Amino acid sequence: MKKLLVNNSADIVSARRHFLASGAMGLSSVALSWLLRQERAFAVPAKPKSGPQRYDLLPKNPAHQPRATAMISLFMQGGPSQVDLFDPKPELTRYNGKPYPHKVKYDNAAQASSTCFGSPWKFARQGQCGMELSELVPNLAKVADDITLIRSMQTGVNNHVQAIDALNTGQIQKGRPALGSWFTYGLGNASASLPAFLVLTDPRGLPVAGVRNWSNGSLPSLYQGTVVRPKEPRILNLDAPKHIDAEVQRRYLDYLDRLNRQHLQQYPGESDLAARISSYELAAKMQDSAREALNIGQESKATLKLYGTDDAATKDFGTRCLIARRLVERGVRFVQLFTGNQTWDHHGSIRSGLPAACRYTDKPSVALVQDLKSRGLLDTTIVHWGGEMGRLPVIQNDTGAAKVGRDHNTYGFSMWLAGGGFRGGYVHGTTDDFGHHAVEGIVTHHDYHATLLHLFGLDPEKLVFQSGPRTQELVKPQEGKVVYDLLS
Amino acid sequence: MRPLLLWQHTCLASQYARLAGWVCFTERAILFGLVVNCLLPLHGILASEPTRELLTFEQHIRPLFKAYCFVCHGEAGVQEGSLDVRLKRLLVQGGDSGAAIDSGNRSHSYLFERIESGEMPPGEVKMKPAEVELIGRWIDAGAPTLRTEPDTLGDSYFFTEEERNFWAFQPVQVVEVPSVTPGDRSRSPIDAFLLAHMEPAGLSFAPDADKTTLLRRACFDLVGLPPTPEQVSTFCADTSEGAYSRLLDRLLASPHYGERWGRHWLDTAGYAESEGYSPADPPRPHAYKYRDYVIRSLNDDKPMDQFIQEQLAGDEMLAPHDTAQNTPLGKELSPQQIERLTATGFLRMAADGTATGGVDQGLARNQVMADTLQIVTSTLLGITVGCAQCHDHRYDPIPQVDYYRLRAIFEPAYDWKKWRTPKQRLISLSTDADRSESARIEKEAVALEKKRKAKQQIYITQTLEKELAKIDSQVGKEARIALDTPAAKRTKEQLELLRKYPALNVTAGSLYLYDRKAADELKKMVDEIKQIRDTKPIEEFIRCLAEVPGSVPKTHLFARGDHEQPDEVVEPAALTILANGNAPTIVDNNPKLATTGRRLSYARYLTNGRHPLTARVMVNRIWMHHFGRGLVATPGDFGTLGARPTHPKLLDWLANHLVEGGWRLKRLHKLIMMSTAYRQSSAQNPEVDPVIEESYYARWKVRRLEAEVIRDAIIRLSGKLNLQMFGPAVPIREDEVGQIVVGIDTTDSADRPTGKVIPMHGQEYRRSVYITVKRSQPLAVLDTFDAPIMEPNCKRRSVSTVTPQALLLLNSPLVHSLADLFAYRVVQETDSRASPDQANPDQFSAPQANNSQANNSRAMVRAQFAWQLAYSRLPTENQLQEAVTFLDQLTLYYQEAEAQGTKNVQDKDSNQFDPARRALTSFCQALLSSNRFLYVD
Repeated sequence: MKKLLVNNSADIVSARRHFLASGAMGLSSVALSWLLRQERAFAVPAKPKSGPQRYDLLPKNPAHQPRATAMISLFMQGGPSQVDLFDPKPELTRYNGKPYPHKVKYDNAAQASSTCFGSPWKFARQGQCGMELSELVPNLAKVADDITLIRSMQTGVNNHVQAIDALNTGQIQKGRPALGSWFTYGLGNASASLPAFLVLTDPRGLPVAGVRNWSNGSLPSLYQGTVVRPKEPRILNLDAPKHIDAEVQRRYLDYLDRLNRQHLQQYPGESDLAARISSYELAAKMQDSAREALNIGQESKATLKLYGTDDAATKDFGTRCLIARRLVERGVRFVQLFTGNQTWDHHGSIRSGLPAACRYTDKPSVALVQDLKSRGLLDTTIVHWGGEMGRLPVIQNDTGAAKVGRDHNTYGFSMWLAGGGFRGGYVHGTTDDFGHHAVEGIVTHHDYHATLLHLFGLDPEKLVFQSGPRTQELVKPQEGKVVYDLLS
Repeated sequence: MRPLLLWQHTCLASQYARLAGWVCFTERAILFGLVVNCLLPLHGILASEPTRELLTFEQHIRPLFKAYCFVCHGEAGVQEGSLDVRLKRLLVQGGDSGAAIDSGNRSHSYLFERIESGEMPPGEVKMKPAEVELIGRWIDAGAPTLRTEPDTLGDSYFFTEEERNFWAFQPVQVVEVPSVTPGDRSRSPIDAFLLAHMEPAGLSFAPDADKTTLLRRACFDLVGLPPTPEQVSTFCADTSEGAYSRLLDRLLASPHYGERWGRHWLDTAGYAESEGYSPADPPRPHAYKYRDYVIRSLNDDKPMDQFIQEQLAGDEMLAPHDTAQNTPLGKELSPQQIERLTATGFLRMAADGTATGGVDQGLARNQVMADTLQIVTSTLLGITVGCAQCHDHRYDPIPQVDYYRLRAIFEPAYDWKKWRTPKQRLISLSTDADRSESARIEKEAVALEKKRKAKQQIYITQTLEKELAKIDSQVGKEARIALDTPAAKRTKEQLELLRKYPALNVTAGSLYLYDRKAADELKKMVDEIKQIRDTKPIEEFIRCLAEVPGSVPKTHLFARGDHEQPDEVVEPAALTILANGNAPTIVDNNPKLATTGRRLSYARYLTNGRHPLTARVMVNRIWMHHFGRGLVATPGDFGTLGARPTHPKLLDWLANHLVEGGWRLKRLHKLIMMSTAYRQSSAQNPEVDPVIEESYYARWKVRRLEAEVIRDAIIRLSGKLNLQMFGPAVPIREDEVGQIVVGIDTTDSADRPTGKVIPMHGQEYRRSVYITVKRSQPLAVLDTFDAPIMEPNCKRRSVSTVTPQALLLLNSPLVHSLADLFAYRVVQETDSRASPDQANPDQFSAPQANNSQANNSRAMVRAQFAWQLAYSRLPTENQLQEAVTFLDQLTLYYQEAEAQGTKNVQDKDSNQFDPARRALTSFCQALLSSNRFLYVD
């Protein structure tokens, strides 16, 4: 009998398997399903210390029973003003126009003042829980009983880049993997045809820190976030250039397929050639899936209206929120929406700028919560709404009522969360009487991340990436802890 | 975390990965209902299936105990529970709990009980059931040994006869070329060796591949590019004897040979242009000189012994009086000295995080050494020594002390106690004249800097005055006094006052917030100062490894691999097992050299022609790149866990051939490529399992091109390939979605894309070997096609077939633009050629349009030319007809779309929408995405 001459080569082994798979049955759905499987189970192993580790997107079991399986993060880049939206401060209102009695750290010295700036907007109790919210977020009032409002967020770093990195990667240094990359690394991809981590950017521009917001950092590049662009092609490489319409691409693929099958006839046993043919079929399928997921045309009129896609003020953000829901419905693990160009960075003209930013996001964000809830998805989907910082209780740019603004504040700010195990109708933590510093129930970005991981069933101590002698993690155990009070 | 724990973890992790591999493979096989028995076992410990043969301690049991148990029961004087499991008689003798085995009865054997219950080994990695069963069977069989065991094991590592006799540690044999029968198409000794295996199995060589196939194969193999039209016509026109041989000579003489084979060497050297280790991943702007050194050396056919010596000890090969290697050298270096210093860049390829803030220096420094040793040993010895860093190697006969002896060879250059950061290790190529010129220019810059500072102070003062004027004059007066008071001496009231008026805090850093104009003016001065400094003679550096003369640190064995637990001092030496039990000593301190001479001595030992591994490992790697796999399938591991040679005699014959031929590679390439084995067709014999066929080299194996070759080949088709050689790496940047592409970064200060594109003037079309290799930012197109990330090096590339590759070829802007350029080239070159009727059928672009309709002829000419460029051969009539049909139909579709006003993009090179041209782009893209193009057959 002819014996295999190589006794130790994984290559040969897998080549033989392909031969058996495709040679015996011809190129068929078997090859395709093998390929699908290979895509997902690309866990080709055998890593002695000397070789690079292989990584995959195979769905992985969490360490414990998860509460959440997906997350949509609405990242309000720039820093929404907590004292005008979420954190009423009667004392600040009393001090309005008077010198602020404590110390302040400013970002912009030239326009700095120490004059207190009471919120020009009214707050009222909302929902059964009686959560106090500003008149600027009337829609949010409708879901007050569904959200957890954290009033005591703190990162302690005063500029946008570092603060974004803190919230989105856990560390203020550049180059760390983004939150979505960590989730993908830890849990794999639950979708066979869509990326696990998708980012929807603002047509008005990228957030501060640019593409780093969805970087895989030092994790392998298959954990990088995939951007859904505001213009065609919506997903680079997953969507054809604008001038290649579906019909052109179909003909192109047909012709390519013909070329490849002719070639394969010469080598009927070469499973890699067959697999590559299937890989185009799979690519086309993925492309269709992506197109289908991004097409909101199939949504009902009522849904489109709910998200405000019929109104110029909310059309963009509403569309993105709606797409986010469609993606999560189709198994995407982590979707992040960014507001661009520092939408919320109201150093000046806050009296007009803040209401505009609220109009842009309030209705669609709340629609997302309502829609997820009505579809039974909110239980397992975390919705996050918040920025990288808040704003100071004092005036910046004291040159007239229309021009005043607020400078950065990273010592105490607010954000809200819903679903996936977060406790509805609950307000967590407090800031001082002026809303500058978080004083009770402080939640750092590390605590926030530890809590998210917990809800996804991941153990922060075990979500570690090892490269050589170094380890990297999203949350170091000594840095952050799960905030159980936030959970239902 | 303590390094000790980490290293242990890593070692365990590797075992884990093996376990996982096993499980994963089996699971997948079952999933597809495949029979896998004949494929097992996959690896080392149970390499020979001992069903019927006699189980012996030495052959079957000791390797298991060595892997799982020695570290606590026998090694380095550790005998937990007073039990030593290194010999059978010690098992019988037992420990605190009595005898460990009862020969002949597993159920009375305490050792077996502990193993079977999973209590031993402790920790997460357990023996596999098959291994436990093997031990049980051995005990039941009376626990036989092969021979009388030694009375004492002594303090040092005990090499068993099995270990000493392991194939890879035996001297290279002088082997006779097998005789061949006439008519078996043997063209060279290589063929004779292969036939000797084939014939008993009833196999023989496949027929020779046709000429164009061979041409394409040889071109991709030797220069990594598809044949040019000129190459095709020259080779096809040459019908005389020796045409193929002359083709090989031409390719071997091509400067692109060095780029192609240099890239192979760079893989195993772990070539990277960034330091790695931390997310910061700082650049290595001077590393490219090593890349160029490798390319030049290969082009020059530098003997491999010299190549190895220079890379390990180039600094010790300079004349003695030149080895005062403190930077800067202070005198001009000769081109040869520069070359030899540059060669040592090989030892500077490992990730080096020691200049990065916030790292544990002890750990980071020792990691540089560990990674460097790993690169050196896996590249030159084909052995993984890393396992012996913490304890005796679990599988191979490499005692821990051997690891540190090897390390001692490199320690004088890499003294971790007197560490030098990457920057401190650079050697400047500046001349005295350069330096004095630089000093003169620096003076100028400093003078202007002084002016700028003075001006800045004036603006700060002016701004402050303006701010003070805004507040109440009395308060302002007090504020002025407060500001004039040094910060530490301000009273509480003064501090309070300044806190109340934060805008008074004007500094150099915040000036721009108050006075843009002033800030812009100052910025202009900064630019001017920079411009002045930019006129300095460019100081070039070599990234190299060189010893500090006179500094000879002691090398300690680190207990459990922990640098904070230094143990005995060790002398430099090579691996003991390779010298049959006597560690070959390496010169400790050569008095004739300013440096210790240890690396030079080691390099000469490795290349003395009698070393059992150096030449074997080298020829195996060359073979692997020619045939797609090595004679030893694991080029970086010739040890117990690695593969055994499929053709051991051929391997030894080739190793001798290399050494006897003066260690020259081009001669070896030619020998291999002239063989029948290399020239075979890839067509399958339907009666033979293709995998069996391949394993005997009874057919050429169809292979996908490597990442770099795919990119270069597509650019070649586009007509844009820039063949400029050498020099600093072509920059890379993140595009708007974060993919890494070739280009110059234009993001703003907040890292957002500005949309600005800096023209690359053809640099974007350089060959891939010249594109920046940044560990944390792999070029997307290369990454997608399995280019390695260096951690720390790549012994063998993996080849995947995954949809991101299909998606990239289908939709990426890069591929679309190159397909468009390809189409443009086809239009240009065919339109300028003769009309179809006049074409010469022998010419490369011969269009055969005789009986076609006139309006078809243009499409036909184009399709044929594109086809020839992509595949180096003419399409068959049928293929051409299909191509034309595709083009015509798509053209028609575009015409209709245009008529309906639905076309949406203009062509790049004209304002005209050209449906035929658009269709041709799709056709060209199909060609370059097709298997016929992506694979070499």
